[in-house]
Amino acid sequence: MHFSTIRIIAVQEWQLIFRNRTALILFGVLAAILLTATGIGWQQQRQYQQQRKQYQAEVQHQWMNQPDRHPHRVAHYGYLVFRDRSPLSFFDPGLSSFAGNALFLEAHRQNTVNMSEAGFSNGMLRFGELNIAMVLQLLVPLFIFFIGFGTVAALRESQVLKLLISQGVSFTELLTGKTLGIAAVTLALFGPVVIVTMGGWLLLYQGTVSADTWLRMLLLLLVYAAYFVICAWITVLLSAISRSARGALLTLLVCWITFFIIVPKAAQTAGSNLYQAPDKIAFEHMLEAALEKEGDSHNPDDPHFKAFRDAVLRQYHVKDVKELPFNYSGYLMAEGERITARIFNIAYTDLIDTYQRQNDVAGILSFFDPYLAVRISSMSLSAADMHHYVDFQREAERYRFNMVQGLNDIHAHQIDARQNSTQRVSNKNWQRQAAFFYQPKTTGWSVRHQWVPLVACAWWVLAGILLINIVSKRIHV
Amino acid sequence: MDYRSIILLEARQFLRGRTILVVLVSVFILGCYGLYHGRQVRDHQETVISAIPTIEQEHTAKNISYNAGKPVGGPLYYQYFYTTNPPTPWAAFAIGQRDVNPYHLKVKMLAIEGQLYDTDLSNPVTLLAGNLDVAFVFVFLLPLVMIVFCYNTLSGEEESGVWKIVRSMPISPVRLLAMKLAVRFLTLLVLAVFLFFTAHVWLGLPVGLTSLYMGLVLFLYLLCWFSIIAWVITWQRSSGMNAVILVSIWIGLTILLPGLANTLLNSAIPVPESFETTVAQRQGYHEKWDRPVMETMERFYQVYPQYRNYPFSKDTFSYAWYYAMQLQGDEAAVHSSKTLFDKLGQRQLWANRVGYLLPTINAQQQLNHLARTDLADHISYLTAVKDYHREVREYFYPYIFRHQVTEQADWLHMPVFRPKVFAAVTLPYSSLLSLFVFTIVCGGLGWRRSRRLFVQGS
Repeated sequence: MHFSTIRIIAVQEWQLIFRNRTALILFGVLAAILLTATGIGWQQQRQYQQQRKQYQAEVQHQWMNQPDRHPHRVAHYGYLVFRDRSPLSFFDPGLSSFAGNALFLEAHRQNTVNMSEAGFSNGMLRFGELNIAMVLQLLVPLFIFFIGFGTVAALRESQVLKLLISQGVSFTELLTGKTLGIAAVTLALFGPVVIVTMGGWLLLYQGTVSADTWLRMLLLLLVYAAYFVICAWITVLLSAISRSARGALLTLLVCWITFFIIVPKAAQTAGSNLYQAPDKIAFEHMLEAALEKEGDSHNPDDPHFKAFRDAVLRQYHVKDVKELPFNYSGYLMAEGERITARIFNIAYTDLIDTYQRQNDVAGILSFFDPYLAVRISSMSLSAADMHHYVDFQREAERYRFNMVQGLNDIHAHQIDARQNSTQRVSNKNWQRQAAFFYQPKTTGWSVRHQWVPLVACAWWVLAGILLINIVSKRIHV
Repeated sequence: MDYRSIILLEARQFLRGRTILVVLVSVFILGCYGLYHGRQVRDHQETVISAIPTIEQEHTAKNISYNAGKPVGGPLYYQYFYTTNPPTPWAAFAIGQRDVNPYHLKVKMLAIEGQLYDTDLSNPVTLLAGNLDVAFVFVFLLPLVMIVFCYNTLSGEEESGVWKIVRSMPISPVRLLAMKLAVRFLTLLVLAVFLFFTAHVWLGLPVGLTSLYMGLVLFLYLLCWFSIIAWVITWQRSSGMNAVILVSIWIGLTILLPGLANTLLNSAIPVPESFETTVAQRQGYHEKWDRPVMETMERFYQVYPQYRNYPFSKDTFSYAWYYAMQLQGDEAAVHSSKTLFDKLGQRQLWANRVGYLLPTINAQQQLNHLARTDLADHISYLTAVKDYHREVREYFYPYIFRHQVTEQADWLHMPVFRPKVFAAVTLPYSSLLSLFVFTIVCGGLGWRRSRRLFVQGS
């Protein structure tokens, strides 16, 4: 291994590509697409956030301006939360379009997150969305394939390869040099464009950009840089083992279709067929059955609630609920809410586990398909993947539970049992409740929850180095 | 040498290539996977739907026995009324939006606007990845296969010097090129027809008008791609360049332009009404608890004057007042809900218009339309649910206003949701026409170029 040789080869490759008009035209087109995607990303992000803020503020305003009410009325009036999008979803929206946006929080039940973009969209959305991540994940690799498919195969066709090898250049040096040359060109061309889009976003972004967001951006840039190097490697390797440039191009195109388009879809559909998740009817049926086993707070003779009542009576040394120092019906309501929430959380955790197993199929396949590794990592680093979506739902459920239990507490301590359904209490009671605010998770959290594809990215870089050495020993001139 | 023998020779030569066979077999296998997956999705939905009547009966029976002797308004608060949107057989062919949108909804007699947009439980990552159904194979992959077949039909021969020999022979080179392309297109067509036939057998599709229209759409769509490819190869670039250009066109038509069109459309027709409706119906109902009873009742009587003379207690809680309040929730959201539906209709309309320019969108929209798996179908389902909800309310109002108890209501004959009966499928004239025009234009351009190309050469 002579590094000077590698450098010469890389520099030559660099010059060759920059002299290639087609490569520059392709880059121009891609850069235009990237900038368009950026504009779209900014605009959508702004539009959505504006709408979300407006309605969230309206809901908060309505909450604060309720008249004096019975606390259980308030618990049914409930609260609406609109899902916040992570600041980086302009770069990689991830699940944004397919995750629900509006969630109604009320007593006794956990609702689904509704009003997803996808539900209001016709089939067009399914062709794929135009965003920066899509361009970098799907199209830039194709650009690399287009500029590099002939890099070794063409030398072989024109017999130059024989000349090079006979002059003492080793295959390892040649392939490494070529890879570095192509990767350097790609990074030199697209790096600035991506940095400009991010910089522009930083300038336009209303609000402070946290240190954590900076870290996320840095990691994203790293992941994509590694990805381009991996793609360059694949291009050079396939070019090296192909007899002709045309054959290399065809192989690369077939690989692209297979690993970038078909496998991701197939992995996900296979996952959902392998691990059947319950649909809503089955899920709710499960909840009902579990609840019936637990006890029915409406039934005065229900064993669970009878035991509960007796325990409360013993604790306060009284004979009848009327003698308790608080309103028993509010107290009972809180017990019922605790039970339903616990049952729901267990079932919901199960459901999410099933979804995770479905998604793990793609996670494991990312060791065989670099596109998947980057796609999943990018979504996670942009805080727009399944883990973040589920986390939002958990936070919302926690908020709901605390809100309802707070109101049940008011019910138990401020409502006179003799006027159980008619009495009202001051609205000051719930005006103290903090508005819903979703605290974004840290980069560390994202990485902890989605480390497999990141490891896969690293593995691909290593695999490239190994493969170059293996292939170099086996190819013929 | 007659043309028939040339064609046969060409066909034999073309089909002998190992690559071609591998491509044909792999695409067919993928198509079969698409059929399997589509069938899984459709059958699962059918299974879920078929279990609903039993669930509904149990639920109703339990609810009635539980509330015996109590005012009927009580059980009606708990009673779910089930609605379904069963898949057509063709839904397995083109899943469309049926994985995103719920295909069954249960609604209570409460404000409908707060219930109509509930979603099913689904894995959003799977929704994002999209379905690998057989429609995907037709719309996305077959054009690529065609590109692989044809990209070097002319350039390959030029590069190997065969055209020079051909020119010295007494046959028209244009015709020869046309024949070579025809062989390739026919090979693909055989694959497509075979897959289409397999779909009928495997998915148990009824052979009928839908088959004919689907077949027409797919045929014209493939023909359209064929003419684009034929035109591009007459530009006389190298094989590698042809591949680059054709794949770029494919990406433009299947990923970039649809993505761009979708975004522009959604920005041009935004639907903040979805949030508006949610907020408005909730406020519209809940605020009535703190308003004078008669104010709410007056509004209710304006819609249902026939209940004006039924007495009810005005200073304690009553179910008449309660359900009147619930209706006010819907009244408050009437405008935003209507606007939302109108806008969704507009989105569909514009998507069809975009389809005139982009064959890919056109074909996919038509497949989804014929399989009844598109947004329009979902909107008509939601509209049917709304109508059914009104029927249910109007059926039970008399019992509520007469202060009857649970067992006095006729639960046996309450309205049952009937999934909409499909009108006959309509032939999508305009989109077929646009595919045809596309084909003619590209084919014509290719024809012109190919004539010039050989005239100059000889």
